[in-house]
Amino acid sequence: MINTRMRWPTVAALPLALSIAACGGGEPTAQTPDAPTTANSLDALSIEELTAQAEEEGTVVVYSFTSRIADVEAAFEETYPGIDLVGNDISATEQIARIKAESAAGSESADVAYLSDAPVVLDELVGPGLLLPYVPPRVADALPPEFREPLLTNRLSTKVLMYNEEAHPDGPPVENLWELTEPPWAGKVVMVDPNVRGDYLDLMTEIVLRSEEMEQAHQEAFGEPVTLDDGIESAGEQWIKDLYANDLVLVDDTDNVNAAVGQTGQDAPPVGFTSYSDRRDNEEEGWALQVASGITPSPGIAFPALLGIVKDAEHPAAARLFIDFVMGDDSPTGGPGYEPFYVAGDYPTRSDIETPEDAVSLDELGAWVIDSTATAERRSAVADLILTLD
Amino acid sequence: MALLAPPAPPETGPGRGRPPASRWARTGSALRQPIVLLGAATAVVLGVLVLPPLAGLVATTLRPEGITAWRDVLASRLSENLFYEPLINSLVIGGATSLGATALGGFMAWLVVMTDAPGKRWLGLLAMIPFALPSFALALAWETVFRNDRIGGRVGVLADLGLMPPDWLSWGALPISATLIAHYYSLSFVLVTAALASVNADLMEAGEMAGATRARVARSIALPVVLPAIIASGLLAFAEGVSNFASPALLGLPVRFQTVSTRLFGAISTGETARGYVLALLLIAVAAVVLFSSTRLLGARRSYATITGKGGRRRQIELGAWRLPLTGLGVLVVLVTTIVPASVLLASSFSRRTNSFTGGFTTHFWVGASDPAFAQGQRGVLRNPLVVDAAITTITLGLAVAVTATVLGLAVGYVITRLRGPRPVVGAISILSYLPFLIPGIALGAAFIAQFGRPIGPIPALYGTFAILVIAGAAYTLPFAAQSGRSAVAQISADLEESAAMAGAGLFRRMTRIVVPLSARGLLAGAVLVFVKMVRDLSLVVLLVTPATPLLSVVTYRYASEGFAQFANAITVIIAVISVAATVAAQRLQGTAQPWVDR
Repeated sequence: MINTRMRWPTVAALPLALSIAACGGGEPTAQTPDAPTTANSLDALSIEELTAQAEEEGTVVVYSFTSRIADVEAAFEETYPGIDLVGNDISATEQIARIKAESAAGSESADVAYLSDAPVVLDELVGPGLLLPYVPPRVADALPPEFREPLLTNRLSTKVLMYNEEAHPDGPPVENLWELTEPPWAGKVVMVDPNVRGDYLDLMTEIVLRSEEMEQAHQEAFGEPVTLDDGIESAGEQWIKDLYANDLVLVDDTDNVNAAVGQTGQDAPPVGFTSYSDRRDNEEEGWALQVASGITPSPGIAFPALLGIVKDAEHPAAARLFIDFVMGDDSPTGGPGYEPFYVAGDYPTRSDIETPEDAVSLDELGAWVIDSTATAERRSAVADLILTLD
Repeated sequence: MALLAPPAPPETGPGRGRPPASRWARTGSALRQPIVLLGAATAVVLGVLVLPPLAGLVATTLRPEGITAWRDVLASRLSENLFYEPLINSLVIGGATSLGATALGGFMAWLVVMTDAPGKRWLGLLAMIPFALPSFALALAWETVFRNDRIGGRVGVLADLGLMPPDWLSWGALPISATLIAHYYSLSFVLVTAALASVNADLMEAGEMAGATRARVARSIALPVVLPAIIASGLLAFAEGVSNFASPALLGLPVRFQTVSTRLFGAISTGETARGYVLALLLIAVAAVVLFSSTRLLGARRSYATITGKGGRRRQIELGAWRLPLTGLGVLVVLVTTIVPASVLLASSFSRRTNSFTGGFTTHFWVGASDPAFAQGQRGVLRNPLVVDAAITTITLGLAVAVTATVLGLAVGYVITRLRGPRPVVGAISILSYLPFLIPGIALGAAFIAQFGRPIGPIPALYGTFAILVIAGAAYTLPFAAQSGRSAVAQISADLEESAAMAGAGLFRRMTRIVVPLSARGLLAGAVLVFVKMVRDLSLVVLLVTPATPLLSVVTYRYASEGFAQFANAITVIIAVISVAATVAAQRLQGTAQPWVDR
């Protein structure tokens, strides 16, 4: 009997202790910023040197938020036949949870993480040192600093205002974001609930961060300054509040926005915030999606797809070689490594890769490129504001 | 851990059976010892499988940012929109799902098992299918008929006919509850069918001979017998209803109808993890209250034992004049819940345009070769070598998890039913076995990585292996196995075991010779539910799966996340077919397992 009694608490406590140590994430475990490790000395190696080491490692494991990793895998293995690329499709949210848990258990299984949700990634992975930056020396010069730090940005995707070009053949039905808060657009603006998807929360956050421009836009639209309601601190917040009050329609998924806005044959289609690159599905899906480029002050945001090296990666050289590969070769289109992402509506970060044909350039589009660090700081306050508006 | 506070002790009400306490006292210690050991062993296993994820949730919410999250959720300017309103919505949805699914499932089970309704075999088969369909297929079916012009884009059939449905019919509580009931009534159907099959016909006949009306026989004899199954399935439907994300997100958000599950999902996906975990814990607390209230309901009447070892030919109720109307109702139910959603799903895997049936059809998504002009060069799913691999792995995983969870579920059911006290232990076992699918899949997965990511003593690190998927799957699907185990064991008269114990049979022998054979039908029903849940559900495996263990649900997710809805739907059809095949196989097996029960 005594024996059982003694053993019981121990047995029960073991998993408890393990999980308390593990489940919660990184920051408490003393993570001294990495002392120079062998990994860091790899950062300066040339492609040839990396290739030699990577071939010894033999494998590189990638967590990717896009299934286009399958195409990259085929191209990579053709270029580097000696290295097996193992691609895992995992959403950004799950990558973050998985990398944290794996690190806590000491069983890192990935070498490279390719993911969006930059503000969360910076907070939860880069901050605690679980995901490390690597900028291939070959492309460093072609990258503006904001795409090199704090983590390498591979490309930009968008969440911008789109409209139905069949119903509005002469261009966007609005010229100014503030028009969306007016009666004609009541119940006619669709987007994904920003409290359900991070990229839409980033869009709302950017609008708050750009309050000065929103203020000016209001001046342009109505010839008077923004009147702030009680508890509202900026023009951006006021716009969000007014948009919600104007019977904004929320849905769960980008595809639902596309179908609502783009569906052909509608008399009075709504407008909505979605990905510019989804326009490529117009013909297949029977949509007439078009981007509201050039509207005041901006149609929306461009946000980064990040590449980072997992701390204590088992294949550090192959990881770097992969990142170098997926940043594109020296041709104007980025070659086979970048090819899966060379589509209209996705924007390369390298200044020496050309914007794909038939797409408006980022400048013409006028989308705000988000500053992930600033977004991270402001994001939860914006989320809370939106919570009170629902 | 206040959640695990012991349940209010069930009143020792004026139950009609003998108070079991005295029964056990008479039987003496011979019986008592092994079951205590079994109880302890079960508690330890649950402690390893379910407690760590739960502890992980609690630990996260006790850090400084977690404390803030508790305040945000419970007492801040956000609370109303973040928690209280969604909670009321969740309770409405969960309650409606639970009651509706139980009533519908109970009716169908009665019709199929007890009556002479024509074509009942077919009805029985079709009534099991909705659980194998993804809940979005049912939501999609609803939209196909009832969608109005709230969002824009295409509208449903009614609106096309000029009858624009009002918002309350197109969006919000009504359509969400309706689609969830249509989805989860199969649960009740499966469990109640298993229980009804064991109703002792002699009792009913005796009741009728004694002059009781049919209604009274049904109320006094049949209903009590299936009450454990009804309550078990009601509990499962409630937990599924409050934790379901797809239906409320699809049908609720357009009218800003938020539930705890949409808030929880949103919090985790926007990086507010602590807040999400607080919501999860509150949902678990609510579920615990519901669970213990139901235990109290069951506790008021102690014995549901009807299987006494005397076999009985089952007699069918002749429906007479009601035969056609009731059968018609049954046909309508399967038409609406199975035929229509399954057809919508199937059609959407052939439709040229996503979820549109007006843009033409193609077989490309099934058998097409790679064509750069079509779906960005994706070939049909049957040409994707990964799909075959994934199908095999998925079936293997489903079977392994079904066996593991059922064994554990039997132990849990046996301990909860037979072990009268200590109450905190029984209470803890029953709550731990009920809550796993209320733990966010991401937290469950993370806890398993933490726990099995490194070697424990002689056991090597299991992370990245097939074994961890089986272990995690068993933990995740335990509610099905435990609830069906519990309702199955509750039907078996303790007298049988007493006699065996008197004759010197040990616990193991009694289990293999009495309990398992007599509860086989209920256990198999639970195993089927576990299998189906496992092959269909993504939320858990997505964190644990590796390329070495490809699963169909992960393939579906891959397609869906890139906007290839038709490919995703095609894989979902394959999953549904596998699930239905498993259900049919289990039915066959039931016949073999209990040859003495009429089919």
